[in-house]
Amino acid sequence: MAENKSVKPGVCFPWEEKKKEYPIIKGDEKTIQKVWEEFDTLAYLTLWFLVTAM
Amino acid sequence: MSKDMEQLYQERLDRYWKANHREKPDKVPFRPFAAECAGAFYGYTTQDVTHDVDKGLEAVIKMCKEFDIDATVSNMVYVWTGYTESYGTKYFGVPGIDLDVHESFQYREPRTEDGAFMKEDEYDILIENPTEFVMNVWAPRISKYFKAPGEKNTWKNNLAWLKCGLGFLHYGNKINAHVERMRKECGVVSCLAGALKAPFDIIADKFRGFRGLAYDVYRQPDKVLKATEALAPHMFYNAIALADPEKKVPVSHWMHRGATGFFSEEVFKKFYWPTVREITEEIFRAGYQTIFYAEGTWGKNLKYFLELPEGSIIFHCDKDDIFEVHKVLGKKFAISGGVPNDMLTFGTPEDIRIRVKKLIETVGRDGGFILDAEAIMQQDIKKENFKAMAEACAEYGVY
Repeated sequence: MAENKSVKPGVCFPWEEKKKEYPIIKGDEKTIQKVWEEFDTLAYLTLWFLVTAM
Repeated sequence: MSKDMEQLYQERLDRYWKANHREKPDKVPFRPFAAECAGAFYGYTTQDVTHDVDKGLEAVIKMCKEFDIDATVSNMVYVWTGYTESYGTKYFGVPGIDLDVHESFQYREPRTEDGAFMKEDEYDILIENPTEFVMNVWAPRISKYFKAPGEKNTWKNNLAWLKCGLGFLHYGNKINAHVERMRKECGVVSCLAGALKAPFDIIADKFRGFRGLAYDVYRQPDKVLKATEALAPHMFYNAIALADPEKKVPVSHWMHRGATGFFSEEVFKKFYWPTVREITEEIFRAGYQTIFYAEGTWGKNLKYFLELPEGSIIFHCDKDDIFEVHKVLGKKFAISGGVPNDMLTFGTPEDIRIRVKKLIETVGRDGGFILDAEAIMQQDIKKENFKAMAEACAEYGVY
């Protein structure tokens, strides 16, 4: 993913980038952001688990 | 949960906590880092406990029920090769596939620069975004199935990522349920939560390999230093993310290439220690201790650990002289270890009893001592010696 330039721990694909894919958000943006980030952090932890634990 | 079992668990947790914090509990805690030996005690092969994690965890439960153990690692056979095979990891020698069923898994480091999982000119990619580097550069090289962006992929390649992600959750669920069984069925504390690796070790063990890094620290030292700094916040984050929410048990730190046999003190001081110190202090500020599981001999590097805040670590002693380590570090930190693995394999129960008694009367005299072997206990140790260790701790360890 070329747009994945965040180096922040816990993040693979930052919400700020994901948000650009939505022309508008009709409902509660915070809900959408929260759930996006939960899954993103799981992906992050999985990736680093391979490096640090396996 | 049986009230008696919960009471036993709380007594052991209190004992373990106090010893970790250099207090004098009612008794020296017995905290074996029992790996393949647990399986061997109950008739499992090393393949069984390494490839089928359920068998490995069952062996730990049996061990916890049979012996008077205060705390132990939930799964010291920490590489589940069934999982690593699901996404096609290349760097393991796997018992039952590459190795005899009674041998323990092995890491196989690429022997040439061409085979390295990270090339010498890729530091900038790592420094720019370590997570993206792991996924796009490192992972496709360590797996038969993962593909780098732009490479042709197939359903097998996509499946590998699916299995990898699901396997992470599957493993976590198994471990969580197992830790509950340890508590409810055995009254035994899961002695660690969360794992730290030194940034320098990650580069040496997983990315460049020891040979590659040994060149890099002289040929491109600035890049190596920046890479350790780029990795540090990720190592901290990952250690804390899976740490004990109640902050009762320490984070583990499996320490490798800072041992004196690998690099000079100058290299240790410049590349290894600064980020380890920074992360360890940050973990301590977050409310956790860290076990420095210092594999090998650390001799002249021990003095650097004194820069850390009092009580921030528990120093686990492997091949150093534990009595000398106690003199250097014992006034600031708890010490664990003490029983040589070769004694557990080739010695007698009487040898073990004498050793445990001496340890408790010296290193453990004023508290702050946790009895364990020097290194993780593998399939070759004798069960009668393990039994003698537990019994000697109960007999001589009471304060």
